[in-house]
Amino acid sequence: MSLKKNSLWSFFSSVKLTITLLALIVLVFIAATFLPAYEVFQTFTKQLSPGAAKVFLFLQLSDLYHSPLFYFLMTLLSLNLIICSINRFPALWKQYKAPHFPEPAGIFDSLPQSQIITGNKEISKIKPIVASCLKKNYGSSKEADTERGYLFYAERGRLSLFGVYIVHLSILVMIAGAIIGSIFGLTADINIKEGESVNVATLSKGNGIHKLDFSVRCDKFIVEFYEDGTPKTYRSDLSFIKNGQVERQGTLLVNHPISFDGFRFYQYSYGAAPDIKAIVTYTTAGKKGGSMALAAGDTFDLPGSKARGFVLRVEENIMQRGPAIKLRIISPKKDIQFWVFQQLDQLIAMNPNLLTEVPMFNPGLFTPFVFSIDRIEQHYYTGLHLVRDPGVPLVALGGLLMIAGMIIVFLMSYQRFWVRMKQEGAKISISIAGWSNRNNQQLQNKIDYLCRRIKEEIKA
Amino acid sequence: MNHTMILSWVTFIYFASFVLYLFRLISGKEFWGRAASFLAWVGLAAQTIALLLRWKNSYDLGMGHVPLANLYESMIFFAWAIILIYLIIEWRTKSKIIGAFVVPMAFLAMAYASISPDINNRIAPLIPALQSNWLTSHVVTCFMGYAAFAIAFGCGLIYLLKNMEKGDVEKPAGFLGRLPALATLDTLIYQSTALGFVFLTIGIMTGSIWAHYAWGSYWSWDPKETWSLITWLIYAIMLHSRFVRGWRGKRMAILALIGFACVLFTYLGVNYLPGMHSYLQA
Repeated sequence: MSLKKNSLWSFFSSVKLTITLLALIVLVFIAATFLPAYEVFQTFTKQLSPGAAKVFLFLQLSDLYHSPLFYFLMTLLSLNLIICSINRFPALWKQYKAPHFPEPAGIFDSLPQSQIITGNKEISKIKPIVASCLKKNYGSSKEADTERGYLFYAERGRLSLFGVYIVHLSILVMIAGAIIGSIFGLTADINIKEGESVNVATLSKGNGIHKLDFSVRCDKFIVEFYEDGTPKTYRSDLSFIKNGQVERQGTLLVNHPISFDGFRFYQYSYGAAPDIKAIVTYTTAGKKGGSMALAAGDTFDLPGSKARGFVLRVEENIMQRGPAIKLRIISPKKDIQFWVFQQLDQLIAMNPNLLTEVPMFNPGLFTPFVFSIDRIEQHYYTGLHLVRDPGVPLVALGGLLMIAGMIIVFLMSYQRFWVRMKQEGAKISISIAGWSNRNNQQLQNKIDYLCRRIKEEIKA
Repeated sequence: MNHTMILSWVTFIYFASFVLYLFRLISGKEFWGRAASFLAWVGLAAQTIALLLRWKNSYDLGMGHVPLANLYESMIFFAWAIILIYLIIEWRTKSKIIGAFVVPMAFLAMAYASISPDINNRIAPLIPALQSNWLTSHVVTCFMGYAAFAIAFGCGLIYLLKNMEKGDVEKPAGFLGRLPALATLDTLIYQSTALGFVFLTIGIMTGSIWAHYAWGSYWSWDPKETWSLITWLIYAIMLHSRFVRGWRGKRMAILALIGFACVLFTYLGVNYLPGMHSYLQA
């Protein structure tokens, strides 16, 4: 039992596993970016055998990022990270708690000549010089009188030993944030027509809806363009209404989400609302008749006649000829259909024979009524994306930890210095040795600097 | 003189500098090296001025945005970053050899940006999604990272070239003898990879913060996001195999090449896959 546990433990604590897992994850990612999206995928699977299609669907090849395979690899990686960290901790702790003395065995053997200074002064006079030199550069120093000689010790950056831990911890924190986000988070979309308010959102995943505790009203939607036609601004003026009260009003722009009641709102899309209306006026035998707001599907009566009108189509711009509506008018004697163009005068100016060639374009086809379009009323709807993600603070914390950890890993190191003084005949020999967990060049520079300083101080 | 003119001159200057670095490499005379790096500094200064002019120009046109908003501008900035990081390394190491391998990359980026018919060099207005303060920090950090990786790639190439001929034994004379020592190259590969890795990490994070504000999610598995993560993982593997398993030399050089191939795919290849980073399509 314990053997089994041990072998499992050592499996998860190997760096080989880490590198294998990272390589596998890379392969999954590469496959995921090249595999087609779900829609394309469905047409593909139709041509495959049903068996192969099942396998493809089971492995979720169209969305590998949310597939069991990817979750499995990420779980292994997290376990690997945690177990590696636990496994290495005792050794690291030992390093952290390492005693200043005795110095690591053999550290003073085979030192280059440049790291050994000889002096003629008495040992008691040199001691304070060395101590003050170390103190000036490293804050403090320790001393010990041993049979190997009189020893000084100084160090810097001991906490940097934990840099790698911070980076690895940051990855776990981010994974935790992502998991929390995917379990407790929610993304949904709402389309709101100008002037209307909505309190139900369509969930992005699946077909469900989410009822909000408040409603959102779109007071106005504006889209602006640059001269060359590229979009410049998408802007929604929103009001958030809770318990019948407008609690917050704000302008929503791309890149500037609005937060309300635990949700963040994003400007996502926009479009023309389908309920386009034409303000139509008519004259009866030259005299001013009436005015109506008509949408497709509406019916209307014409006063003074038994006719009934049906609105077949309302178009904002038909065949580049501007706004138009198509009417059908049924009276006991007639059943006719014709178009009413807003810019009829311009059309006739372009083609004077238009009405004889195409009688259907004559707005006075149902005599004695003549119709014309005053204006078109079209509303926009704004497409909002709303997100609730309680994992974001953890992910952000993970990001900060990672940067901090990387700065420690790449820019700092734990450096330890020992200075040994020994009476050799009439002279005193001072040896300076060092140890670092990385970046030996920097350590060497520091040792050289210390040697120079001590030499100068002794001379003075 | 407008910025487009200056940039075409800069392209030419980088080419000339590359040729001089080659002279230095082949002849071994320090004079050519000094001339080459003088030209590279001149090119960098001129390019900086051109970038500032383009920036000002965009304000004159009423658009007012940092020149980092499309494929052309990012290419130019990439070249600028390569030269900047290279010159700093040259100044610190006092070696003018790797210039012959790094400066041509900046030249190619400049030339590709101005010659390719798919790349539009017009100053275009910013669409709403790009109107963010995160644009600058995201693009700058990413491309500084890419540039550092480009230098690791250059050093990796030299390493393999030198290694190919004579294994790990150093031989003083000849053309290959003038290349930097293998140990120096190994250190340079490691240092520029580490630098690039930190920049790429910050670049991915700033991108993530931006996506949080623009798209509503800090991570959407957009192909460019995924490929930047692939690149990050490749370099993470590279650094781990050095730290933990003690890999050095040839293996690191090969990983530097693989990593840079990923960088190029993340930068250019991904644009052919559908996704949300389509601002770079010309």
